[in-house]
Amino acid sequence: MANQVYEWIENRTGIGNVMKHALDEPVHGGARWTYVFGSGLIFLFILQVITGIVMACFYSPSSTTAWGSVYYIQEKTSFGWFVRGIHHFGSSAMMIVAIIHFFQVFVYGAYKKPRELNWITGVILLLILMGFGLTGYLLPWDQKGYWATQVATNIIGTIPVIGEYIKVLHQGGSDYGNFTLTRFFALHVFLLPLSLLFFLVIHVALFRKHGVTPHWKLSKQELRNRIDPFWPDQVFKDIVFAMILYAILAGWVFWNGGAELQSPADPASNYLARPEWYFLFLFQLLKYCQGNLLIVGTVILPTLAVTFLFVLPFIDRNPLRDPSKRIPFFAVISSGMVGAVVLTVASIHHDKHDTHILHQREDSEIQAARAMKLAAAGISPAGGMSIFLNDPIYLGEKIFKANCNGCHMVKGAGGETAPDFTDFGSRQWIAGLLKNPKDKKYFGESGTMPPVQLPEESLLDISEFLASLSGKLHEGDPGRIERGRELVMKGQCAICHPVGDKNAQKIAPNLTGYLSDEWLKEFIKTPADRKFYGTRNKMPGYEDTLNDKELDSLIEYLNSLSKKQPAVSLYKKQERTLTGYVYSQYGSMGILCPEIVITGYQMRP
Amino acid sequence: MIALFEILIEVCVTGGKTKKVEKARRKFLKIVSHILGGALAAGILAPLAGFLAHPLLKKTVYGTEDFIRLGSIDDFPIGIPKKMPVTSSKMDAWNIFEGLVMGSVWVIRQKDNSLQVLSTNCPHLGCGIDWGADVNKFLCPCHEGVFDIQGKVLSGPSPRSMYSFKTKIENNTVLVDYKNLI
Repeated sequence: MANQVYEWIENRTGIGNVMKHALDEPVHGGARWTYVFGSGLIFLFILQVITGIVMACFYSPSSTTAWGSVYYIQEKTSFGWFVRGIHHFGSSAMMIVAIIHFFQVFVYGAYKKPRELNWITGVILLLILMGFGLTGYLLPWDQKGYWATQVATNIIGTIPVIGEYIKVLHQGGSDYGNFTLTRFFALHVFLLPLSLLFFLVIHVALFRKHGVTPHWKLSKQELRNRIDPFWPDQVFKDIVFAMILYAILAGWVFWNGGAELQSPADPASNYLARPEWYFLFLFQLLKYCQGNLLIVGTVILPTLAVTFLFVLPFIDRNPLRDPSKRIPFFAVISSGMVGAVVLTVASIHHDKHDTHILHQREDSEIQAARAMKLAAAGISPAGGMSIFLNDPIYLGEKIFKANCNGCHMVKGAGGETAPDFTDFGSRQWIAGLLKNPKDKKYFGESGTMPPVQLPEESLLDISEFLASLSGKLHEGDPGRIERGRELVMKGQCAICHPVGDKNAQKIAPNLTGYLSDEWLKEFIKTPADRKFYGTRNKMPGYEDTLNDKELDSLIEYLNSLSKKQPAVSLYKKQERTLTGYVYSQYGSMGILCPEIVITGYQMRP
Repeated sequence: MIALFEILIEVCVTGGKTKKVEKARRKFLKIVSHILGGALAAGILAPLAGFLAHPLLKKTVYGTEDFIRLGSIDDFPIGIPKKMPVTSSKMDAWNIFEGLVMGSVWVIRQKDNSLQVLSTNCPHLGCGIDWGADVNKFLCPCHEGVFDIQGKVLSGPSPRSMYSFKTKIENNTVLVDYKNLI
């Protein structure tokens, strides 16, 4: 039956002949493991195409829906995180194999007559590959893609005369918006794949015409003596290589738990943009091209490098392929490669040792985790960013940055004239304050409180007690609290600090309900109140500047600074009856109705 | 495996590279290539299929209420059909929509305060049905369908009477089960 069907099709199409022609290609000098990289690239490209098509069934390119749909792929579907991971890291795999392929072709001298066009189409394919990486990065519309792509489009803008026009065309306007995504999406899924296919067909056809470029040491006689058919000798090696590639890629995806998804793009934030690793050398190059020299890094050097690659077969016209006869060209290509590697390493090294960047990374990871949890309750049609609109920690952070950050530092960023709020309200923070209030981290020179000179253990007892006053202490130790209470009440603290009566006034702040929401609120409103700092106060009051909701958010944010607090505000579970059925809109799991509990299930390691 | 044995036997017998050995070796490579290629394809396609089949395995649109509030019983005059929009919340994949208009219904309050809620779509081809106050009948303008106030088909091409919905009244509030046509 199968044979009959095959015969029927064969009689009408002659497909068997085509296959035979395609597969019986003689490989002069024998099938080799060194020839697998080109076909490995085709395998990876096919992998990108099919994973891309399947993801396109879920993806929605607009500034309000892109992040949500990628979130859905990543968190709500089975295997979505895996498919996205393969697609994401597949681009890196393609880049690595392409660089190996490129270097191998250069070493073998495979660009020489008659293979000049092979080389040129190869260079074009490499550029298209970079275009894929660039356009794909933006599509999730998360912080990382948004800000990194800003840099890229601004680089386009530095091209003299036409740059600005190209930039506006790519962005679909003078600024980022819906059309930026639709255009990048169209480039990524239509124009670039079609272009790649076009040049790939030429590239492969020319390869078949001229055959493999064997090792330069093999004589013509040796090449004639050993001829293997492409199928199965070479195809077997290609398949094994494809399997290895896929195994490494899948392993990498599992190891990383899929591709990263940052929080939704926030045009108001100051995110530190970093491109994908294969663009880092260009990114680093720009650091050395400042002011009027910017164009050297953005346009002149890259253009020179690409031009050199294009004209290489025409300047190196010597037919000898032995590397020892091509030292100058090796010097140029190698110095280019070494330069790129050095720049890449310099960029990674710098980022790994810059505390500002490390803090920023940490923050963005926390922010991303918060975004995932908030999005589980559903994203309003206003778009990804809207999940934060009702998140008090997010609002609080904004308010803090606008009003408090000038004096109070958090995680290394901010002013130094008032206490550092990193880890604010934790036992360690309180103990540090007790130990040395005049420390730069706390009140500095303006501190009038004397250091509490007690053993470390007693300091921890006191801070355990003080932390317990807020009523928010996680896993409090009753023994410690009791010992701390004794020390405070019977020691010297109570001489200056009232404890127990909310309205009592002494010369130092009233500690009744210390660091509780109510205490913080009153304090922020009027720190100069006589139950707090009185006339010695330096901090402005916010009674007229911030309304109640803003104060609540700010306090929620302050609470979140201590490590013992959850990073995501869990909103007191508000049972809300909405015409007929009950759901809690902001429950910790985003429980809308029993169905979601099922859909929330996902395959994740 | 057979091909592998062939190679082994041949190599043992002849002790070297003969055409027969080459042939058997290629046969072996072909078989292994098919097996490995198939395994690779399966390893790639399985997660893709699982991902693509997501809408078959789990609901992508949900969260609509079973009984949707139409209004208070007093909003509806006795004996005169009133058209009411139906609004509900809905989770559409990643988006939550609140107060989305899903459609509309005809509500007729009877003298005994019982309610009849009819679909506004004609059972013939889905056109919107109007209330003809002058003739006291429901009229479908597309193909001149005519229905009485109970929704019973009087004339025209409709194969059946107008669709209706299950309703209930709780604390003077009218609730309709909009998902299920009767």
